[in-house]
Amino acid sequence: MRQLRNGVFSLNGREWSLLVACILAIIVFSVASPYYATSGNAGTVLRNSIELLLVGLGMMLLLAMGGIDVSVGVVMGLAAIGVGRALGAGVDPVLTAFVGPLTGALLGLLTAAVIVLGRVPAIVGTLGLLGVYRTAIFVLLGGQWLSGLPTGLTLLLGTTILGLPVAAWVIALAYLAVWIALRRTPFGLHLLAIGNSEEKARLSGIPVVKIRFATFIVSGALTGLAATFYVANYRNVEMTVGSTLALDAIAAVVLGGTSILGGRCSLVGTVLGVLLLRILQNGLLLTGVPSLWQPVVTGSLLIGVLGFEVLSNRLSLSRLGWASK
Amino acid sequence: MTAPFLVAKGIAKRFGALTALSGVDLEIRSGEVLALLGDNGAGKSTFIKILAGAHPASDGELVIEGVPVAFSSPKDAAAAGIATIFQELALSENLSISENVFLGRELKRSVLGVPFLRRADMRQRVDGLLKELDAHISDPEAPVGSLSGGQRQAVAICRALNLNARLVIMDEPTAALAVAETRKVLALTRRLAERGCAVVLISHNISEVFEVADRIVVFRRGRKVAERLRAETNPEEIVSFITGAHPDVRALEKAN
Ligand SMILES: Nc1ncnc2c1ncn2[C@@H]1O[C@H](COP(=O)(O)OP(=O)(O)OP(=O)(O)O)[C@@H](O)[C@H]1O
Ligand SMILES: [Mg+2]
Repeated sequence: MRQLRNGVFSLNGREWSLLVACILAIIVFSVASPYYATSGNAGTVLRNSIELLLVGLGMMLLLAMGGIDVSVGVVMGLAAIGVGRALGAGVDPVLTAFVGPLTGALLGLLTAAVIVLGRVPAIVGTLGLLGVYRTAIFVLLGGQWLSGLPTGLTLLLGTTILGLPVAAWVIALAYLAVWIALRRTPFGLHLLAIGNSEEKARLSGIPVVKIRFATFIVSGALTGLAATFYVANYRNVEMTVGSTLALDAIAAVVLGGTSILGGRCSLVGTVLGVLLLRILQNGLLLTGVPSLWQPVVTGSLLIGVLGFEVLSNRLSLSRLGWASK
Repeated sequence: MTAPFLVAKGIAKRFGALTALSGVDLEIRSGEVLALLGDNGAGKSTFIKILAGAHPASDGELVIEGVPVAFSSPKDAAAAGIATIFQELALSENLSISENVFLGRELKRSVLGVPFLRRADMRQRVDGLLKELDAHISDPEAPVGSLSGGQRQAVAICRALNLNARLVIMDEPTAALAVAETRKVLALTRRLAERGCAVVLISHNISEVFEVADRIVVFRRGRKVAERLRAETNPEEIVSFITGAHPDVRALEKAN
């Protein structure tokens, strides 16, 4: 029941199942495709996981708090445009690396203002913002791709520290910081209490508004950080940037054992959920399934897991009804 | 008689078109158990939620030890020494007992400006409180979701005790309890008052109320219709106030 408590180095049932699923998927794809089991492809899967690991971490916090953000794809897009423009304008690469998280945090603040102060349900509020931001991306890019960006950021983030790529360090630090915040500071208790019941949390004297703002801002900053890596990796920003990111992030986090209704989350599960998703997507591509089918697989996984949880009574149907309020 | 700890003057509460409370005057004294009675929907919970800072009053004034106060959140009320055990308990089922007891006012130590929880200290304190309550809960790290109704009530009471409150409000604390657990809660209620705490107890159980209360107040349809010292009344009279059969209530309701 309490993934956070016992699930840091000792895995729980859900996390073991995910680990086994990852290994099984790798075995199946290795048999099915001669290109699959190569070190080059392993690198591709890990590189493809960078953004989702960061966005998923923020999404995990939001879901654990009983929130959600379906606009993460366009938030990453806007932050990526910020990073790209800064890079194009010749700003120092070290500074441009911070443009992403900063833009993301600001957008997170705006999201929180709409949802918390406007008392709009998170799913509705972020859906509205998704529409607004998508058009903002179109206007900002003027219908064209942002491409051919300078290589400064790519070189900066392509370096290694003590043999590990910068991305690995950043992700490890982000997860460690979130683990400490959740497990060792009052913030974690408050966030999980709000996820359990916002009204009870309020009656307990928890500063609900402050915690909700903070969580949306942190999630925004993590999504913006993902944008920095996105620009470094691809050196362009296309119109449709991040269009499947929200689905991927929610699916990975829920797959990892975080409750869609809040009150429960798992960091290890989130990492494994992201890896399983990316392993499946990459494997299907290499075995000749068109990438068009990827969201079908992701969506089915998400629905399948939720269905399984309802059937096994981990989510009660009546609580699902309440959650729509 | 000592000066009252808290005075409520002309308290009213409206939820949209519905008037849940109107013109309630009440004094709450230290060292005294005040029982609040009334039919379902009489406004008891609404009144104590105003005392607890959970709802703002639509009208009226709260005065604590002579100083007017305005609570904008339960945190403000807690800071003024008011601890409330809500009817719906307000516990987080997904957190442990010790986390619940300290929720919202955790013990922490600051390292480089980051507030770290002092879990061992919190656990120890909760262990002590649970023993004092004789609550038969062995593991303060157990999630509250796994506890029985009576055990949850004990956790909620621990929370109030831990605040070192000047006023403890209990909304139907014994409603879900078995006989033995009810005895414990009632004994505890008396003990709190003997320690000099003011206690407000809401209950539907008349015999329970006559056992522990010093003063009895009856609410009916959002108004205070009676206030009696226990020694000056009897269960029959109180019941007639609750049901509205008492001539005083009839006269009052005719007048409005
Ligand atoms: N948050 C709210 N919004 C709207 N109406 C409310 C709210 N809380 C209470 N009420 C209404 O106010 C009235 C008084 O309710 P309250 O809960 O105070 O009664 P009570 O005396 O505690 O009853 P019970 O003995 O059943 O607990 C009821 O009509 C109730 O429906
Ligand atoms: Mg009530």
